[in-house]
Amino acid sequence: MLRFIVRRLLVTIPTILVVITITWGLIKLAPGNFYSGEKKLPPAIEKSIREKYGLDKPWYQQYGKTMWGILRHFDFGTSLRFEGQSVNTIIRRSLPVSAAVGLLAYLLALIVGITTGSVAALKQNSRWDYSSMALAMLGISVPNFVLGPILVLVFSLGLYWLPPSRWGGFPSRNLILPVLTLSAIYTAYIARLTRAGMLEVLRSDYIRTARAKGLSERDVVIRHALRGGLMPVVSFTGPALAFLLTGTVVVERIFALPGLGNYFIQAALNRDEPLIIGIVAFIAITLLLMNLLVDIAYAYLDPRVRYQ
Amino acid sequence: MSDKLRQIVGLVLLAALAGSTYSCTVASSNEEFFGSTTPPARNILRYVTGDEPESLDPAISNGQPEARIYMALYEGLVEYNGKTLAPDPALAERWRINNDSSEYTFYLRHNGRWSNGDPIDANDFVYSFRRALAKETASRNAYLTYTLKYAQAYNEQAVFVRDPATGQFLLAKDFDDSFPAEPLSSSPIDGAKGEYPSGTEGPAPETPFHRQMHTPTRLTLPGNEKARVKMLDANPKLKAAVTGKEFVPVTGKDVGIEAVDKYTVRIYLVQPAPFFLGLLAHQVFRIVPQQVVEKYKEAWTQPEHIVTCGPFKVKFWRPYDKLVVERDPMYWDAANVKLDEIDFYPSSDNPTIMNLYKVGEVDAVLNHTVPNAWLDVVKEKKDYMNGVEASIDYLLINTTKPPMNDVRVRKAFNLAIDKDAWAAWRRIVKPLTAFTPEGIFPGYPQPKGEQFNTEEARRLLGEAGYPVVKKSDGSYSCPKFPVDQVEYIYNTQESNKAMAEWMQAQWKQNLGITISLRNMDWKTFLNARAKLDYKGFARGAWSADYMDPFTFLSLFYTGGENGTGWQDPKYVAMLDEANSTLDNKKRYELLAQAEKYMIDAQPVIPIDTGSVNWVKKPYVKGMYPNAGSLFPWKYVYIERDQAKWDYGTPSMAAD
Repeated sequence: MLRFIVRRLLVTIPTILVVITITWGLIKLAPGNFYSGEKKLPPAIEKSIREKYGLDKPWYQQYGKTMWGILRHFDFGTSLRFEGQSVNTIIRRSLPVSAAVGLLAYLLALIVGITTGSVAALKQNSRWDYSSMALAMLGISVPNFVLGPILVLVFSLGLYWLPPSRWGGFPSRNLILPVLTLSAIYTAYIARLTRAGMLEVLRSDYIRTARAKGLSERDVVIRHALRGGLMPVVSFTGPALAFLLTGTVVVERIFALPGLGNYFIQAALNRDEPLIIGIVAFIAITLLLMNLLVDIAYAYLDPRVRYQ
Repeated sequence: MSDKLRQIVGLVLLAALAGSTYSCTVASSNEEFFGSTTPPARNILRYVTGDEPESLDPAISNGQPEARIYMALYEGLVEYNGKTLAPDPALAERWRINNDSSEYTFYLRHNGRWSNGDPIDANDFVYSFRRALAKETASRNAYLTYTLKYAQAYNEQAVFVRDPATGQFLLAKDFDDSFPAEPLSSSPIDGAKGEYPSGTEGPAPETPFHRQMHTPTRLTLPGNEKARVKMLDANPKLKAAVTGKEFVPVTGKDVGIEAVDKYTVRIYLVQPAPFFLGLLAHQVFRIVPQQVVEKYKEAWTQPEHIVTCGPFKVKFWRPYDKLVVERDPMYWDAANVKLDEIDFYPSSDNPTIMNLYKVGEVDAVLNHTVPNAWLDVVKEKKDYMNGVEASIDYLLINTTKPPMNDVRVRKAFNLAIDKDAWAAWRRIVKPLTAFTPEGIFPGYPQPKGEQFNTEEARRLLGEAGYPVVKKSDGSYSCPKFPVDQVEYIYNTQESNKAMAEWMQAQWKQNLGITISLRNMDWKTFLNARAKLDYKGFARGAWSADYMDPFTFLSLFYTGGENGTGWQDPKYVAMLDEANSTLDNKKRYELLAQAEKYMIDAQPVIPIDTGSVNWVKKPYVKGMYPNAGSLFPWKYVYIERDQAKWDYGTPSMAAD
């Protein structure tokens, strides 16, 4: 097991470097500059800016400098758009915001989704099953940029109950709407995954054995069925958590949250090279780590899975 | 009830829920104001100023959202008037201007202080101006300071040419036939007895720098050797004159600003510039603390280091969340600063901003925030700020590619747009036929461009070889026009799309030509436009850097980078002549002639003069919808007495 983890971690490093390199290349290919504006700058000023940020150097030197900073100090440099702010600081500052919203949303999604999905599976083809699955379908198909504004319209502009946007610290009432918006689609997925997983497991031999042994239905479901039935949810959780942790572009934008997702899209639009690379690398690392955790969790949940 | 039906009913119920709340919102449109009118509990203003500021360093950003923040944190010699944007005294108490507006002397107030308590003196201005021009600062606004003598040369790292034998410098007028007459600031002092208006103080303390400035403008050459050699090779006379001479780099010390004494700043311009005083309120001329900047380098604007000089100072800054500034007790006029605090919230998403405003989480918002679809409701409210803006919308034309290289074709496309109808549809803008915004510059005889005339448009197209034929159903078609050679590009945004589609419909209807539309992200769009990497039309918008028609007309002054490929030495000469004219009325007339000349060449199609289009709660007083949406924050206050609230756009008449 330990060997497996170490091996996986070692593979992570070159993967991240490849991701960074590709990102770097893509930014270089994108037209436009971080400093361009409605009025084109005089050539001399443009030249000074390029010199100040080392953009006048040949590409291999720029690439080398970027990679050296990352490899040597894990330093992604200074944002081009936000003068004097280091990328590492920006990530450190905005990550907690994204993580708070993302984790709360996922927690909510897990509780509601697993409960709904299990009940739907246990009472297959019942009224509860159909209505919850219909709602789940709705949750999956209504995008968050529609759901978010509807919630704002109802609870903020209509009823004046909750603030329509902005970060209010943790915990605060400002979190309710973004968390609800963000959790909708995950709740729906988890409910459907749980239902499907449970249905499969409930029909399996070991459940029949458990029932035959005379275990109570409660024990059958919680101790045996749920453990197997949640496998799809576990594999879904890895990437989902990685994306939630690193910020969700749309929700952070609608609710004006100072999270990573907000920075990410703005950095791309502003051609803020170091910031894009920093955030992409961070997302990649989180994603790979989460997937590793999922694999480890698998081994514990399913006795059939063993890593060499 | 089948399950499918149940699903549908569920959906309908949800829609109804959303719909009912929406109708509540609409029903509330009978109210006087848009949303909550409860003032904040504390004596603060919560304001959305636009996107997250790039930097708190006033030399760096050229954006308007940042400009408003800089107005809270920094001061310069003068400050924008809240109603007219004309320069009011700020750190300078008073000033004196010579007869041709080429030399300005400013007398500083003696009680100016930085937020750390240090006194402000003339050297702070000398340092800040030089810093804004230094190559290392890489200020995007540096070009606005080019009117200072040798400022451009220093910013571009040029060199003077000196004869090592005599110590004499080569002079610009000897090598440039079109070099304009020297301004008084560069004329010998003895001969300048009439330099200052009679009856005022003399040209005040004489200094070596003053004498040095009052010499003919020196020749400057590119500092880069490659560029210089290329230039010299093209000019044998210059090359011969330069041979054997030494090149002396232009330094910050050569730039036309000096600290005459502790509280006197004198500025020398390279040309007569009557608009310079108004320009001085721009952020690039606001002062920064030398010691702090030199100590912390780029990190000096971080909250733990920053030192400022405006009515407010930084209290808290969390990017993309908020910037909180509080009244600075060190500020020379702190007793008259009315607010305790201003919270700047960053957001560039208009519905989000309007939502915050409606529920009363913010008290005022930046310009251009009311979405088109909301105007019907919001425009009728008494907290809607309607006012003409010093900005224009226009279309650029790539004049380098056929068929748009034919002025008749360009004119035809201009004539075929019914701008009155556009303005009526857009509701808040004014139709525009010239290139300067209408009703912004008092006394400026703005020229009239051509009016909507479809007959003439079709005639011109026919003359250019693309006859427009009328079809049996009354519509037009122009079969010969190469529609694949013309398109309309714009950056992705709802209002730009609406404008593009509107123009497309006009041309289809009046010329029978369907121009394809293409949208792209902002930076890609800017790149395509600047490099003339488009065919046909590109969207353009410009708002004034300072309150003078020249801020618009100069877009086509600097040659090849204007995004149209149109360049005309005669136009440049006309502007030069106007700017060296002392009589302001005459100058305006000459500028108007140049404007007329430019719009006749039609490198652009003017569309409209903008509108400020924002909202503020009635209890926010001392804040006016001026043409630049720039606010001297110290006068803004929260009025708790409802009788004294603003019911409608406050009067903009000068006090």
